[in-house]
Formats: sequence, C-alpha cells, structure tokens
Amino acid sequence: MIRLFKSINFLYFMLLFMLSLLFFFCCLLFLFKDLIYFIEWEFLSFNSCAIIMTFLFDWMSLLFLSFVMFISSLVIFYSINYMKSDLFINRFIILVLLFVFSMAMLIISPNLISILLGWDGLGLVSYCLVIYFQNIKSFNAGMLTALTNRVGDVFLLISIAWMMNYGSWSFIFYIEIMKNDYSMKIIAVLILMAAMTKSAQIPFSSWLPAAMAAPTPVSALVHSSTLVTAGVYLLIRFNILMLNSLLGSILLFIGGLTMLMAGICANFEFDLKKIIALSTLSQLGLMMSILSLGFSKLVFFHLLTHALFKALLFLCAGTMIHSLNNSQDIRDMGSLINTLPFSVSCFNISNLALCGFPFLAGFYSKDLILELSLYSNFNLISFIFFFFSTGLTVSYSFRLTYYSFFMSLNFKSLNNMMDENWIMSKSLFFLSLMAMIGGSVLNWMLFDSNMLIYLPFFLKVFTLIICFMGGMMGYFLSFSSFFSINKSFSFYSFFIFQNSMWFFPFMSTISVIYWPLVVGQGLMKNFDQGWSEFFGGQNLNKFLKNFSIINQFFFLNNLKIYLMFFVFWVIFLVFFLFIYSISL
Amino acid sequence: MLKFLFFILFLIPMVFLYNSFWLVQNFLFFMFFLMMLFLNYSGYFVNLSLLFGIDLLSFGLILLSVWISLLMIMSSELLKKNKNFVSLFIFFILMLLLLLMLTFSCFNFFLFYLFFESSLIPTLFLILGWGYQPERIQAGFYLLFYTLLASFPLLMVIFFIMFKYNSIMFFFFMDFFNLNFLFYLMLIFAFLVKMPMFLVHLWLPKAHVEAPVAGSMILAGILLKLGGYGLLRIFPLVLNLGVKLNFFFISISLIGGGLISLLCLRQVDMKLLIAYSSVAHMGIVLGGLLTLTSWGLMGAYTLMLAHGLCSSGLFSIANMSYERLGSRSLFINKGLLNMMPSMSMWWFFFCSGNMAAPPTLNLLGEISLLNSIISWSIFSIMFLTFLSFFSAAYSLYLYSFSQQGKMFSAIFSFSAGFVREYLVLFLHIFPLNLLILKSELIFLWL
Repeated sequence: MIRLFKSINFLYFMLLFMLSLLFFFCCLLFLFKDLIYFIEWEFLSFNSCAIIMTFLFDWMSLLFLSFVMFISSLVIFYSINYMKSDLFINRFIILVLLFVFSMAMLIISPNLISILLGWDGLGLVSYCLVIYFQNIKSFNAGMLTALTNRVGDVFLLISIAWMMNYGSWSFIFYIEIMKNDYSMKIIAVLILMAAMTKSAQIPFSSWLPAAMAAPTPVSALVHSSTLVTAGVYLLIRFNILMLNSLLGSILLFIGGLTMLMAGICANFEFDLKKIIALSTLSQLGLMMSILSLGFSKLVFFHLLTHALFKALLFLCAGTMIHSLNNSQDIRDMGSLINTLPFSVSCFNISNLALCGFPFLAGFYSKDLILELSLYSNFNLISFIFFFFSTGLTVSYSFRLTYYSFFMSLNFKSLNNMMDENWIMSKSLFFLSLMAMIGGSVLNWMLFDSNMLIYLPFFLKVFTLIICFMGGMMGYFLSFSSFFSINKSFSFYSFFIFQNSMWFFPFMSTISVIYWPLVVGQGLMKNFDQGWSEFFGGQNLNKFLKNFSIINQFFFLNNLKIYLMFFVFWVIFLVFFLFIYSISL
Repeated sequence: MLKFLFFILFLIPMVFLYNSFWLVQNFLFFMFFLMMLFLNYSGYFVNLSLLFGIDLLSFGLILLSVWISLLMIMSSELLKKNKNFVSLFIFFILMLLLLLMLTFSCFNFFLFYLFFESSLIPTLFLILGWGYQPERIQAGFYLLFYTLLASFPLLMVIFFIMFKYNSIMFFFFMDFFNLNFLFYLMLIFAFLVKMPMFLVHLWLPKAHVEAPVAGSMILAGILLKLGGYGLLRIFPLVLNLGVKLNFFFISISLIGGGLISLLCLRQVDMKLLIAYSSVAHMGIVLGGLLTLTSWGLMGAYTLMLAHGLCSSGLFSIANMSYERLGSRSLFINKGLLNMMPSMSMWWFFFCSGNMAAPPTLNLLGEISLLNSIISWSIFSIMFLTFLSFFSAAYSLYLYSFSQQGKMFSAIFSFSAGFVREYLVLFLHIFPLNLLILKSELIFLWL
C-alpha cells in the first residue's frame, strides 16, 4: 500500500483526478452562469497582426478537459499494473502527461497559431507513444501515424498563412461575419483536411488501426477518446464554415464512407484492438457526418459519451490481452466469461453502450443522432450510410462478444487467466459506472429542453430494428463457416480487400513514399553528384587543370619556344592595335 | 563594441596557458552574459565607435556567434583528452569568433566584405586541421573556392558603389540609382552561395562531412547566416531591381528546398542528412527573404537564429554518437534508445525542432516565412507544403533510424551521456524553446 502511494502513477492519478473534478465543477458553474473567459497573452504584435496565445474557457472546453483528465487519470492508474514490469515507467508516464498537456492546450486555445502547440504536440507525443514498444510493427505504425498527422499540421500551417488576410488568428471573433469570404472558404477546406487527418477520415484513415501498436492504456486514452477527437473538436469550433455548403456535403459523404468502411472492415478483423480501433473510426465518421448537418452540440455530446465507453472498451481489452499472455487474436479467446467475469461484464457494458442499448451512455447520444438524421433532409446514400453502419456496429460488437466470451476456449490449456487484479478492476469499475450513467447525466446537463422529434411509429422503432438485425448478423457471422479454413479461400480476394481496410494502408504507405524515394535517389545521383558537380566544382577543376597542363607544356620545353610565343603575342597585339587605330 | 573585441583579443594569449580549455570557455560565457546587458531594443545602430556599431540584427547574430563558439569548445572535449593541438584549436575558434563579431558589427561594406572573406580562413584551418579523413582537403577547396569565386565580383561591386556614391556605409544604402541585372547578380550572388542556394550548395555537405564537430557547428550555426545577414543588409540597394528579378531566385530556392528534402530521405550519413536539411531550411529562408516583405525579412532572421541553434545542436548530438560508435552511418547508429535513453530524448527535441514543432523559434520563423511567401504567390503553397511535410519526414527518419531498431552488434563498449554533453544540448535547446516567450527581440529587428 505504501509503495503504491509512493509510485509516480498514483501521484499523477491523484493529480489528474483532482483536476478533472475541478474542471467539472468549473464547467457546472460556467454552464449555470453562462460564463466564458478569454485569456489572451500577446507574444508579438507587428503591423497590427498579433500573435497571441489564447485560452478560452467555456463550458465546452472545461467539460472536455474534465473528461480528458478523468480518462487519463484512470489510464495512469490502470497502468500501475499493466506497465508494472516496464523498466521505463517514468518515461511512459511523462509521455502520457505530455499528451494530456497537449490535448489540454488544443482544447483551450481557439487561435490558429496557439492551437499548433497542442496540435503538433499531439502528433509528436502520439508518435513517441506508438513506438513505445520498440518493434518493427510499432516502428512502422509510428512513422505512419506521425507523418499522417504531419499532413494535418501542414494544412494548418498553410491555413495560418491564409488567415493573415484577416490580420488575426483568433478566428472565433470573426468567423461568423467572414464565413462567405473567399479566403475563408479556402481556410475552411484546409481546416477540413487538417481535421480529417487527425480524425482519420477516409483518405487518411490507415494510421488509426496501425496505431494500435501502442500500449493498450495509451490506445484507450490516445487513439479512442482524445487525439482522434481533436479533429472533430476543431471542426466543432469551425462548424459555421461547414454549414450549407459543398464542403458540408463532402464532409457528410466522407464521414459516411468512413463509417461504412470501418463498420464493414471490423466484421472481417481478428485483432481485438483493431476491431475496437475500427469501431472508433466508425464513430468518428458518425460524428463528422453529423457535424456537417450542423448539430455541433450533439456531436460534442456524442464525443464525450463515446470517449467514456471507448476508453472502457480499450481498458477491458487490455485486461483480456494481459491475462491471455499478450495475445490479441480473438480466435485465441473464447469462454472468457468463465475466467474473467468482471472484465467481461464491463466489456459488455461498454459494447452495449456503443451499440446504443437503452439508458446506457451511447443510447442518449446515438439514438438522438439517428432520430435527428431521420428527421432531417438528406438523400438515400447518406441514409444508407447511417443505418447500415449502425447495424454493422451492432454486428461486429456481437461477433466480438460471441467470439471471445461464449465459444469454447481456444487458448492454451496452460494459462493463468484471472481478473482479481484490483488495480485494473478499479479503473474498469469507475469507467463502467460512467459508461452507464454518463449519457443521462450529460443529457440532463447539456440540453436544457428536450428536442422535439416527431416520427411515425415505424421510423421510431427503425433504429431498434436495425440494431436487432445487426445483432443477429453478428451472431451468425461468428458461427458461420465463412471464416473457417475451408470456405475462406472461396472469397479470398473479397476477404483480403475487407481485411486490409479497402487497401488504404497500402495507399498511404508504399504508394505515397515510392516516388519521393525514387526521385530522391535520382536527385542524389544526377543532381548533387551529377550535373551540379559538372557545372560546378569538378568541371571547373578540370578546366583549370587542362589550362595548366598546356602552360606546363611551355614551361617544360625550351626557352626559345616560350620566347617565340611571347614575340608572336606582341605582334598579335600590335596588329590589333593597328586595326583599332584605323577604325577610329 | 571595442571592449568585447579587446576581450577576445586578450583571450588569445590565454590560449597558450597550460590547461586553458575550460578557462577560455568560461570567459566566453562571462562575455556572453556581459554582452546580453548591451541589448538595445531601439531599431537603431548603437554602440557606435569608428566603423563599428550594432543594431538588433547584428546583436542577435553576435550573441549567437559567441554562444555557438563556447558550445563548440564544450562539445569538442575529445580534442583535449587526446591532446590534439588544443591551444591551436582554441586559437582558431577565437580568431573565428573575433572575425565574425567584426563582420556582424561593422557597417562599412568593404570592411564587411573583408571580414566575411577572412572568416573562411579559420574555418578552413578547422576543417583541414581537425577533420577526420583525407577528403577534407577537397572539402576545404570546395568551401574556399565556391565562396571566393562568387565573392570577387562582390568586391568589384563594392568599388563600383564607392565610385558612384562615395559611401559604402550600410545605413546610407538606398535604392537611388538605376542599376542593371549584372550589378544585382554580382551583388547578391556571393551571399547566395554562402547561404547556400540550391545548385551552389555543393560545398556545404562536403565541408560538413569532413569538418570536426566544432567546424560543423560553426558552419551550420553562423557561417550560413553570414549570407542571410549580407542579403538583409544590402537589399536596400537593389529594392526595385529585387522586386523585379527576385522571382528567379525564390523559385530556385523553393523548388530546390523541396528537392533537397527528398534528397535527405535517401541519406544514410547522419551529418550529410543534417547538412542537407540545413540547405532545405535555408531555401525557405532565402525564399522568404527575397520576397522583401516585412514578414519575410523578419522571419528570415528568426529562422536563421533558430536554425543556428537547432542544427548546431543536431551536429553536436550526432558527434556524440560518432564518438561512441565511430561511425556516422545510420546503419550503425541504431537502437541508441536502449543505450542512452536520456540522449534519445534530446535527439527527439532536436529532431522536432528541426521540423518546426512548437514552441521552438523555428515555428515562429516558419510561420512568418510561410506568410510572406504565400502572400507573394499562392503557387508556392505547393512547394511549401512539400518542404514542410518532408522536413518532418526526414527529421523523423533521422530520429527513428538512429534511436529505434536493433543495436549494432559490433559495439565493444559504450558510455552513457556525460553531464557535459547534456549541458551542451541543454544550452542549445533552452534558448531555442524559450526565446519565443520574448519573441520581439528575435523577430522585430527591422
């Protein structure tokens, strides 16, 4: 006990937990009194452009901060045990804290320059966290993560340059007035691209499953509830630019496609963490597409509830991986219900919350979102995206449940599975408490009046029907011989296509870097060691050397020849002087 | 200023004292802190005496020169241990520092030229004297002749200005007479080579590879900045011409910066990679500077200071690996995270500084350069995106290949970082990350 209190994890768990409570109560106060605090710190003022560090404290940023601190405190508490035998636990904790710091900076600064501190920091720290287990897989995944995030940073940097048109980077002051301006549209495109990289939307989505090479507590904090929601959060702040424009439609389409892609691929995946990552991706797509319809408060609500149950899902997965001797393959699991009853029930709670089971956290946000989408005016494709993906979510959750909990035990017979590990169980307990009550609490807190949604009976139960059908599908998928060895080869190409995420990982690794590397090598050979030398140092050297060889020829010969050349030269000069004087 | 010049002059005899290595370094520290008191944030030339005086532009670069010089002494302790002509080494560093201070503080163009050129000599001796390989002779020639070839025309131009205008004082420079393209080219080309611009950068990687750590540090830290400093000083002469003709050099440097970033991705030599990355960074600096906008000029200065600290730190940290493993190759410098975990942190700081991560000065410089270049032409967005993205790519490549992966199996023995080394790195990174809190001093020099 004493040793526990002395450990760095416990210290920071207490600190972050207290901060979380503090921010939560501040949020209640701000919500109650309708307060917003701006704190501005001017770095540099030049030609009336000021580079300012802005801190914005409103209920939104405080609530998000409180959730980030809550989840990270539990994650740090959890890693007392999960990372127990790690030699560099201090490094781990420092990295997680740096990550939380960057996230906090991102949340509270609505200024395009000062947000870079959080935005770049998230990318860099998540790189360090992904490569934490030093193996080839995490090495590659880290590079993919960092460089994809860097694309977003570059877009943000370019949009900073565009925003100089307005003389200030505190966009929150003028974004509403300037939303129809030409430059603001370009900025909107750039911001959208930046947000899409951070939130792993479709052309950039390959890094999120790859980033599962990180330690599981990190995945719980970084790649489910905070880092990936940074893009969504940025777009919540920029939401005005996305409304009623082509950009909004594009966002709707891309978000829907991401949602669909992730949902389908999760049904074909066998890596436990990757399934959860794909489920995160699908939820991110949901948030993005809803954002394009303008329900930014609702998106924020879903973001928070999703953070709660997704962190729980990852922590439960961590417990399972831990007791399965670091195996993540769900084909190795089975009948875990007998050996890990507590973790499995927590896992189930969060899975059901993810599916939108009534009165769990996900229900309040997801059901509201789906009913609002039924209520609002969009086309059939988006409709299919939304509801098909909802069904798929239930499907892969049920498939996962059946694979890991109910089928016969496929793991080695010599095992030591147990969840009497009270440190991990405690953090699971707190999070599952929040996953149960979080939705309703937030609902009562954030929405002062009920939304009026007026639907016919069939549409009202449509979501439930879809969920039920999805559950059935997941159940059958887990039992069907489709995945067994005999049949899987008959759909080989289809299977590979889905299992490799519609080939996005190939598109964002080898096909992106191939030409730069080839061109780089060509430049090295042909420019730096080729033409530049030819027109530069080496050729000049050769030129001078040849001249001096000619000179040497004279020096080495008889003096007469030298003198004769001298005489000839003088005659030559006199001749030209003569011609010159005539021409005058 | 004279007091500081005499300070250095009188440090030179001290070189020949027994065991003067750390003494000189400490005195340089002392001088640095004294010099910091002479900060005058007024936008004018101050501390005038005879032909010398400083404004904020020269002040920052002089401080940087002193700082880098003392860090050079700190990071080449191996020389002292091996008794490798220590006093001569310190003598050259002090000579170089003296000449650099004179270069940055004089405002007579001819004197500037004189010191600008003569600072090559101690650098050459540093490379020839303390380099590692026989190829250093060729590298020395490249260094000398690339610069000389481009700068003799500059001498002619200086005489021409004197002949036309009867003054070659920096603060009288104005764009008052019609000049032609040849004049413009001869005037700026010396600085473009020194910068170095793409296509005339060949001397830089060669010199860096062959130079000892001190030579690399001062090359990347200060000598490249001489070119930028010169351009910032002489551009009042050719403003109109520059607005017309600069597009040529901006294009070359932006495209070249992008190409050089690709080239960096194929390097396996750490020092070569860092050297090429400084060519790429100088490409952005040159591009921003030549747009002749306020943001560009100021950002150029900021990025020059930032790059001076950052790349000098990268060279010194690369040398720390070199001293342990005896190779600069990324195939041998692998998996250092397990051997030197704390050093790995510094690697990460420097690599992230190199890719302009906040809160480094690099970011401030890069933002303002992006502002100026994009406001100059929106087509340059393409190259800037390229540059910015690939700067991250090669910095991470450097970091991940040197720190991650399997250890090189032929290592016999290994020591973790010394306090001296961590101090060197700290003294690089500390101003780099903290000066942004008072960024007027390194930004608003104009």
